[in-house]
Amino acid sequence: MKECLRRHRDLVQSLAVLGLIFSLAAVCSPRDWRTGGPLFLQADNLTNLLRVTTPVAVVALGMTLVILTGGIDLSVGSTLGLAAVVAALALAKWHWGGAAAIATAITVGGLVGLLNGALVALLRVPPFIITLASMIGIRGLARSWCNNENIGLRTAGDAAVRFVDTWSQKPFMIGLFAGLALLVAALLRGTVFGRYVRALGDNPTAAVYAGLPIKRVQLAVYGLTGLLAGLAGVLTAARTNTGNPNDGIAAELDVIAVVVMGGTALTGGRGGIAGTVIGALIVGILANILGLRNVDANSQLMLKAGIIVLAVVLQQRRAAR
Amino acid sequence: MTAPTAPSPPPLLRAQNLVKQYDGVRALRGVDIEIRAGEVHALLGENGAGKSTLGKILAGAVPATAGTLEVDGREIRIRHPGDAQRLGIAMIFQELDLFPNLTVAENIALRNPALAEGFRVRRDRLHAFCRPFLERVGLPVDPATRLGDLHLGHQQLVAIARALSRSARLIVFDEATSALTEELVANLFRVIRDLRAAGVACIYVSHKMDEIFRICDRITVLRDGGFVATVDAAATNPDELVRLMIGHEVNTGQRARSHATETAVLEVANLTTTLVRDVSFKLHRGEVLGLAGLVGSGRGEIGRALFGLAPVLGGRIHKGGREVRPRTPRAAMAAGFGLVPRDRRREGLMMGMSVRDNANLAIMGRLSVAGVLRPGREAAAADRMATATRLKAGSPHTAVRTLSGGNQQKTLLGRWLQREPDVLFLDDPTRGVDVGAKADIYQLIAEQAARGAGIMLVSSELPELLRCCDRILVLNQGRVAGLVDARTATAESLLRQATASGAPGEGSL
Repeated sequence: MKECLRRHRDLVQSLAVLGLIFSLAAVCSPRDWRTGGPLFLQADNLTNLLRVTTPVAVVALGMTLVILTGGIDLSVGSTLGLAAVVAALALAKWHWGGAAAIATAITVGGLVGLLNGALVALLRVPPFIITLASMIGIRGLARSWCNNENIGLRTAGDAAVRFVDTWSQKPFMIGLFAGLALLVAALLRGTVFGRYVRALGDNPTAAVYAGLPIKRVQLAVYGLTGLLAGLAGVLTAARTNTGNPNDGIAAELDVIAVVVMGGTALTGGRGGIAGTVIGALIVGILANILGLRNVDANSQLMLKAGIIVLAVVLQQRRAAR
Repeated sequence: MTAPTAPSPPPLLRAQNLVKQYDGVRALRGVDIEIRAGEVHALLGENGAGKSTLGKILAGAVPATAGTLEVDGREIRIRHPGDAQRLGIAMIFQELDLFPNLTVAENIALRNPALAEGFRVRRDRLHAFCRPFLERVGLPVDPATRLGDLHLGHQQLVAIARALSRSARLIVFDEATSALTEELVANLFRVIRDLRAAGVACIYVSHKMDEIFRICDRITVLRDGGFVATVDAAATNPDELVRLMIGHEVNTGQRARSHATETAVLEVANLTTTLVRDVSFKLHRGEVLGLAGLVGSGRGEIGRALFGLAPVLGGRIHKGGREVRPRTPRAAMAAGFGLVPRDRRREGLMMGMSVRDNANLAIMGRLSVAGVLRPGREAAAADRMATATRLKAGSPHTAVRTLSGGNQQKTLLGRWLQREPDVLFLDDPTRGVDVGAKADIYQLIAEQAARGAGIMLVSSELPELLRCCDRILVLNQGRVAGLVDARTATAESLLRQATASGAPGEGSL
């Protein structure tokens, strides 16, 4: 038990921070005028919090793997926007069925990810540069495919309405995230691929000497992150009833913030999915409580900035030990 | 010269009982040295004898753990390069500490207080300041040239010019000729002689015997981080120096029993890369073939070439009778090669991962079904590995970062032993490990040979090669200088072949 605690010290710390923030939110929350209980703790508010956080959290699962390999993916926000546009176009303009539209949107995301992975693996250009370029290029593609217009889904036919109704339900979104988190955690913990992801980020030179399939691992982590960004685009389209080519602008930074808050080191090798789930919850709770207290959006950004810096400083303290 | 009655002036620099400790490893243990103004003083010793460490302490690159330093008879402390610079001590590093994207003049005058004029840099003044120093080192280039555009030998001259511009009185040259052509070496020696004539002292760190006799006045020999002797170059000869470098208490230990067979497992013919030329040898099943040579002789490069890590420019490699040319470590592993790299922290281990995960990293296929790891198999493999290597670790989940050097090395060896490669290349596997772990590693090498593997063993310690190997291939500046039977060879004969210059393979000085 003691040994177990020591090995998961980072996680225990992150959990403690989560508990603290949750309690603070409950205490600071405005009261319900009828019952007098904190609004924050009401089931409706908590599930809403999870639903709002889901798209970013889903992408953060993939980003965790990318960062564990020592890489970074700045293109996920643009990919999210592209997938939202593709899903909406397929439903509203091409009149496809829901399943086909969703599958196509997610596949497009996966292809963007594979392209990133291939360029990183083959050109040996830093992932920051490659994915910065695709962040810019993919946003352009998303806007040109829909002529810079939002595509509404509410009035776009039966398939579109059914899609929106199903995919924006809270239980569906929360269940989807929980399932994916378990899946990616299992992938990281229990498979050869997961072991290679960690090894590559821990020591890239030694990974070469140990004969690890580095290119395949890179292709896989960026590909998976693209798929998840595609899925997040579909979720966003459903929640907002719209395919908006400007969806997900700056989302890559929210995603990275979630991963870093969860204790995953940007230098690679250290961290994991459990931390990222905790990070997503922390970010979600913060946004929620600030919203409940009517803190204006600009002050929220400034507070978020401070919290990110604080989280990273704490993380470096840990790494130095 | 001073009159016999007058007290002799204090030496330019005197170091007494210098000690340097790096994480448990004693690189220097109580070294005394005296440097006089206007002399060229050689520091000689085998790899790991402590030569470079001593130079770095004087230059302020690393602080001494203990000991005293005097300059002109006054006790001083050197804590960082700024201290050394103020005392007039400069070091010409093997890896030059220059800025490739600045100009020659900027490199020389950077941070020179004589040129401080607020923020403004007067280029004409800067260039005028630098020209005399460039002339002194015989470098006829425009001070406005970008440093990175210069040849490496010329960059080194810029480093010397910088030292002169800071009125250095003592310049430490660390393996200064390792990357130079004969012509550049001659120029460097001319510069050093000029410096000597001007009263500047030079410390010349090297293991090239002929150069030392060409340029040096006195020679201090170090061995295993300890002081051996200081001798006048005129009063000694190469044979005596070799004896001093090796010491008399050479103990080769119990020779391992030979498992060598007559079946060749690997045949290398005329292997050529950027660092080695025309290397040919045969390795038999059950044989331990030693690779002796100085750092930079190409002994490690052979392993990297076989393992797809260094591009092969020419030659053929036959393994088990079939020609192979591995282009990646993966391909080499599939062909039955294994490589334990020299720098276990940088090239070998994932320091943040556990013992189990490090040791099992190269046999993931065997421990999984369709890519899913079987924890039972992982644990069993880690247990077997720990038993076989006599590894001492708290648990298989202990991070390798927390282990001792010997146990880290055993973990890395375990990774490769588990693959049971036909050809195993071990690059200095006992570097920085304790005596107990060393014995265990010798035992593992013998066990692998008994299994029928062909083993190549690189080592900086000649007694180790004599003890573990059947035959020893001596390399000198990228070429084969000899192939000797380990039963009849001696440390002296190996070192002579490894340090001889001129025609390779000659085997004499």
